[in-house]
Amino acid sequence: MRDKIQAALKLSKADYTEIRIEEKESARISYQGRDLENANAVIDKGGVVRCLSRKHGWGVATFNNLDDLKNKVEQAYQCALVAQSEEPIELGPIEVIEEHIQAVMKHDFRDVSMAAKKALVENYNNILLGSSDKIIDTNSVYVDSFSHVYFANSEGTYIEEERPSVVVATTAIARDGDNVQQSHESCGGPFGFEFAQDKEEMARTAARRAVELLGAKSVVGGQYPVVADQMLAGVFIHEAFGHLSESDFVYENPKAKEMMVLGRRFGRDILNVYDDGTIPGQRGTHRFDDEGTPTRHNDLIKDGILVGRLHSRETAAKMDEKVTGNARAVSYRFPPIVRMTNTAIENGTTSFQDMIKDIKLGIYACDAYGGETMLENFSFSSGYAYMIRDGRIAEMVKDVILSGNLFTTLQNIDAIGNDFKWLAVGGGCGKGKQAPLPVGMGAPHIRIQNVVIGGQ
Amino acid sequence: MDLMKELLKKAEQVEVVNLHNETTTVSFEANQLKSSSVAQTRGTAVRVVRDGRLGFAASSDEKAITKLAANALESAAYGDRLILKFPTAKPAQQVRTFDQKIVDLSISRLVEIGREILDLILPVEPDARVNLNLTRSVQSASLRNQTGLDIAFERSPLSFELEIDRIVGDDVLIIFDVVGTTQWNDEYLGFARRLVEKLKMARKLTRMRSGNMPVIFSPFGVLALALPLNQGLNGKSVYKGTSPMRGKIGEKLFDEKITLIDDGTLHGRPGSAPYDDEGVPHQRNVLVEKGVLKGFIYDLRTAAQFGVESTGNAERGLFNQPEPSSTNFMIQPGKTPLKDMIASISEGILVEGLLGLGQGNIISGAFSNPLALAFKIEKGEIVGRVKDMSIAGNVYDLLKNVEAVSQEAEWVYGSIHAPYVLLPQMNVVSKE
Repeated sequence: MRDKIQAALKLSKADYTEIRIEEKESARISYQGRDLENANAVIDKGGVVRCLSRKHGWGVATFNNLDDLKNKVEQAYQCALVAQSEEPIELGPIEVIEEHIQAVMKHDFRDVSMAAKKALVENYNNILLGSSDKIIDTNSVYVDSFSHVYFANSEGTYIEEERPSVVVATTAIARDGDNVQQSHESCGGPFGFEFAQDKEEMARTAARRAVELLGAKSVVGGQYPVVADQMLAGVFIHEAFGHLSESDFVYENPKAKEMMVLGRRFGRDILNVYDDGTIPGQRGTHRFDDEGTPTRHNDLIKDGILVGRLHSRETAAKMDEKVTGNARAVSYRFPPIVRMTNTAIENGTTSFQDMIKDIKLGIYACDAYGGETMLENFSFSSGYAYMIRDGRIAEMVKDVILSGNLFTTLQNIDAIGNDFKWLAVGGGCGKGKQAPLPVGMGAPHIRIQNVVIGGQ
Repeated sequence: MDLMKELLKKAEQVEVVNLHNETTTVSFEANQLKSSSVAQTRGTAVRVVRDGRLGFAASSDEKAITKLAANALESAAYGDRLILKFPTAKPAQQVRTFDQKIVDLSISRLVEIGREILDLILPVEPDARVNLNLTRSVQSASLRNQTGLDIAFERSPLSFELEIDRIVGDDVLIIFDVVGTTQWNDEYLGFARRLVEKLKMARKLTRMRSGNMPVIFSPFGVLALALPLNQGLNGKSVYKGTSPMRGKIGEKLFDEKITLIDDGTLHGRPGSAPYDDEGVPHQRNVLVEKGVLKGFIYDLRTAAQFGVESTGNAERGLFNQPEPSSTNFMIQPGKTPLKDMIASISEGILVEGLLGLGQGNIISGAFSNPLALAFKIEKGEIVGRVKDMSIAGNVYDLLKNVEAVSQEAEWVYGSIHAPYVLLPQMNVVSKE
């Protein structure tokens, strides 16, 4: 493969060319209610050539047929010539690298039979179904995938990397009359089969919570102090702030540049946020990004002040900043774009008890169903929540949707917990059409004043 | 190796699907053409029924046919025991899904069209930053099964995807639109002209109080109502028991002004094709008629679970088994002209877009969203754009009482056809 790739690279007429080939096999087993919905394996093999013509722009060719790489290089070059970028495109400098990165799995899932994988999921699914007669539906999923990725560019870099991934997810859906509620728990990481085992407690939690939500009342809309658990805080910082740190959002947008100017105060002194692709065992972790740039720790907010952002080689050169190792692609079907790796709010000093003790009426919001941001405006659904009354956690409430302005909300974070954790959740991040990209998120509990909560 | 022959040695039923797709994309980013791309994908997906159990496998590596066959048979060892019969060949309606004019569009012609669109928008809104993707695909699909069914068809989808953001001071406006077709239309700039009108309308800002008031949902805004219904009418959510409409066929669930149709046989629509992805002919399915629930959409599997016929709504990607999915989902237009609708309102709001659609527990019908684009109506006229507003409600309650449905209707997001819908009373919250 290496010879084939390098022979094709040599023929390129472009200013810069890279080739990425991915060979992936994955297995998926899923239960829906009592039915085994999937127990199958798929093979996905393909590649992408990306050419840069400095004066024009980028050209990309993706393909499944690997027989004619040279022709694909030519096709990508022709595409690059069509582009009409106003200014020449430069790339931030990186070292030429040659690396072979092998996967380390305690228990290689490729050696585990379909029968054993099925038995594992069936057990979790039975826990969901057996928890309560109110559980009317479930979704229990096991997915593993093993990719062998080859990357080479015209500067001489050559990287081969094995990327294992395993995910277990359980969803319980409970019903009482017309009232239907669901709860979801998942975990995932660059590990072997061992990671998917012993997750019974995770399934029990999902089932218990779906049933509890049946008894929850809809929250009364209004402004509240909100304490967010680690999961919601992690998703919030990723969605509402992290995406604005991606320089492809900023680099050609004067207004966004103004908004994201380094040195601007984003929060109180207690707030520290970073992105770090080097944390061992997290879902967003890689030695190199998909342009061959080494990953590293990047401070984004330090003592409340914006100090950094995330780059690809192109955005780094354009903004005259250092590369950060954040150009990532979800698969060979796409060129790399600026993405987060593992994004986190740094640990603080406040205990959970201290955080809630002075709240007369507030909300303890946990987990996130998803969210959407539009520049500085965001909207998130929490998975479940509780009222805080007179400094104590009180009854469960549902339909808690947080919305607001990012800058006001970050300024309103007035306490940061001392209970940081990484969230090894199973889903992934979407940007453009590239989803789901595995990312890591981490945070302690945080308290935010004056959050607008939508409700009935 | 002939996959069909080989697999029939060990399986009672076999289905082999081949997909081939070539897509050309021209991408303008912040008004600049920064990249273009060509994507070629191909692959084979196989389903087998062996000893009464269903198995599935897929591969994009055409050299891995032996492994593909082995994976399918292994999958069947664990597959469910559902009695599923792959269909025999049935005549399908002629549906136009392919247009040589689209296939013949050169990459430089796509670039030109992109420029024409920008030339409409930028003179009106010099501050706008436009991201525009022009995408043209040539897709061919073939499907064979052991009954002798052997179909193949080609499609030529062309889509323009446009995101405009305009930031002036603290005011951020983002408008998103996608149009799609499989038949070339010389009026391809129509959608851009409508967008320009919206942008002009959005210039003037005004304020609004919270309260209960009449709300008009535009075809884009109607998505807030259409998405939960679309999910609830899906045979899979009915089978799962999560659809609030389960078990209510024949009941009047909505105002009689509401009629919902799914139709995969319309010429030139992105959701159309002669057959669905299991080889069942597409058809026109009336799901809700004058407020009364008539039926759901099914693929072979969900149809078998209910003991009914597939409605021709199977959809699949290469690496996934088929699932029921709507083709072209339509809320039938009504009798009221839009201008009369607006004129009838003394104080109310026109919702053009919502933030965070599709998140949360949407199948329950409940939604609560900030408004991305909305206009205030005062004394029968649109008086300006309002910011920092949100609405909340439940579709199943709201649609019991509909004041009016407009004559005018538009295709939004390529495959949803919707009119303007006026609800007499809804809670609107202003952050001010």
